Amino acid sequence: MEDSELAYLSAAEQGRLIRSRKLSPVELVQHSLARIERYDPVLRAYITVCAEAALAAAREAETEIGRGRYRGPLHGLPFGVKDQLCTRGIKTTLGSRIFADHIPDHDATVITRLRNAGAILIGKENLHEFGKGGTHVFYHGQPRNPWDIARTPSSSSSGSGIAPAAGFSSGSIGEDTGGSIRGPAAANGVVGLRPTFGRVSRHGGLMYAWTADTLGPLTRTVEDNALFLQAIAGYDERDPLTSRREVPAYGAALGKDLKGMRLVVVREMTWPDGVHPEVRAAMESAIEVLRSLGATVGEISLPWAKHAIPLGMLTSDADVASMYVPLLRSRWAEFDAGTRSRMATAAMVPAAVYSRAMRARAVVRNQILAAFDRYDALLCSTSLKPAGLIDEAREVVRSAADMAQRIILRRISTHPFGVANVPTLAVPAGFTQAGLPLSLQIAGKPFAEATVYRVGHAYEQATPWHTRHPALAETTRAARVIENGVTS
Amino acid sequence: MNLTAQQAREMAHLIGLDIPEADLKVVALRLASLLTAMEAIERELGPLMDKTEPIPPVFPQEPAD
Repeated sequence: MEDSELAYLSAAEQGRLIRSRKLSPVELVQHSLARIERYDPVLRAYITVCAEAALAAAREAETEIGRGRYRGPLHGLPFGVKDQLCTRGIKTTLGSRIFADHIPDHDATVITRLRNAGAILIGKENLHEFGKGGTHVFYHGQPRNPWDIARTPSSSSSGSGIAPAAGFSSGSIGEDTGGSIRGPAAANGVVGLRPTFGRVSRHGGLMYAWTADTLGPLTRTVEDNALFLQAIAGYDERDPLTSRREVPAYGAALGKDLKGMRLVVVREMTWPDGVHPEVRAAMESAIEVLRSLGATVGEISLPWAKHAIPLGMLTSDADVASMYVPLLRSRWAEFDAGTRSRMATAAMVPAAVYSRAMRARAVVRNQILAAFDRYDALLCSTSLKPAGLIDEAREVVRSAADMAQRIILRRISTHPFGVANVPTLAVPAGFTQAGLPLSLQIAGKPFAEATVYRVGHAYEQATPWHTRHPALAETTRAARVIENGVTS
Repeated sequence: MNLTAQQAREMAHLIGLDIPEADLKVVALRLASLLTAMEAIERELGPLMDKTEPIPPVFPQEPAD
């Protein structure tokens, strides 16, 4: 099997090979580590690579499986987590200089559950500082898009999107408040799920937007995504806001056609001013594919969805900022310039405005939820534009126009579903002529992860997008060119 | 809404933040933009907001199947 062939197999296929003992967990982890060593100095998906521990766990998995103790489809597979999730004895930096040497004494619940499923932690993934989008300068290295290293891998679970796209791991766990899983999934050409709030435990995640933060998987295929969610979903006594609802068998939703399904495109989140023509064309094409699979696809107006971005910033950002005010007082200069200005702004939101914004969030959410009375899933593109150049994508604010374009409009496709706290899946939906990934977003009613997987899987299997992967050897060559100063 | 750097400085002082001049304009611009957006939301949704409690949209407030 060729180098990239193994790396780009789906996690499900890697798991099947391990189960049938045609592939050793040690071989797979060594293969992942070799790719990380070769390409990650350019892509910067990881802040910490747990090479020795991962190899030890792989040997243990190999022994277990050899003795007939196979734990399930993730046994022996390498995964990474956004470096916002606590790992016992392993640095958890939040992408910040301030926490550069922070070593927790416990694992996040999702990590414990993946380890119990036999998966192997291979590293901690790079992110926008404190998980807030808008970092200007990355203290732990600039993450780069594997499809074009001059471009952003999006925010804020940047490394969690790069890693599965580059074949560094079988999957990642990212964190999504307003789009931080779905944005990197779109930019890097992988599948990303923001689960329903309460479906996955937040215990051990260092994130403080307590009414919107969710943890979810980023993977190369929809089936892989369902496998990872299956392992991490469910009630956790250490997170009082997790649901006690039974976790369904997500795999059972896959492989079905879409006959009788009622889908609807959200006009304001799909066709606003400023949508890139290739994004528009990909969306139109995706709608036709979904119709050909038996679904009806209509269009709906949700005019209040646009309010989700400022409302998220007036509330969830304020929740986060409240936890960092002491550090902002004492270590201002050690924060990234983008992070500190965003947090200071949120810290200054008057309490009365915060309370009114929470009321408005409920109103906006109710409008979105009402749409599920008539439709099984809502659709829109995941991003209005393909991944931008790193320098141009920085959220530098010099004017009210910058605030509108760089901060507000950019988030129109993802924030409303975050504010509504509904499960939302981003799936690859084509490429630009320049070879940059495009993405379709599918949202369901609360706890309807199986529905969004069903739609996403049917679409994925009817299209070739998930079979394309970045050519990292060319990436390395391009990086050498940059190092030599031939281009910038 | 206009928010001057001086007003932003004074608001920051209320919570013990001493924001350097170089960052103050950005913070003022960001906050003014968000408060302006909130004014527009109040105009459009205010009466509905008055009748809607600010319950966080988290479990167990999720609707049943």
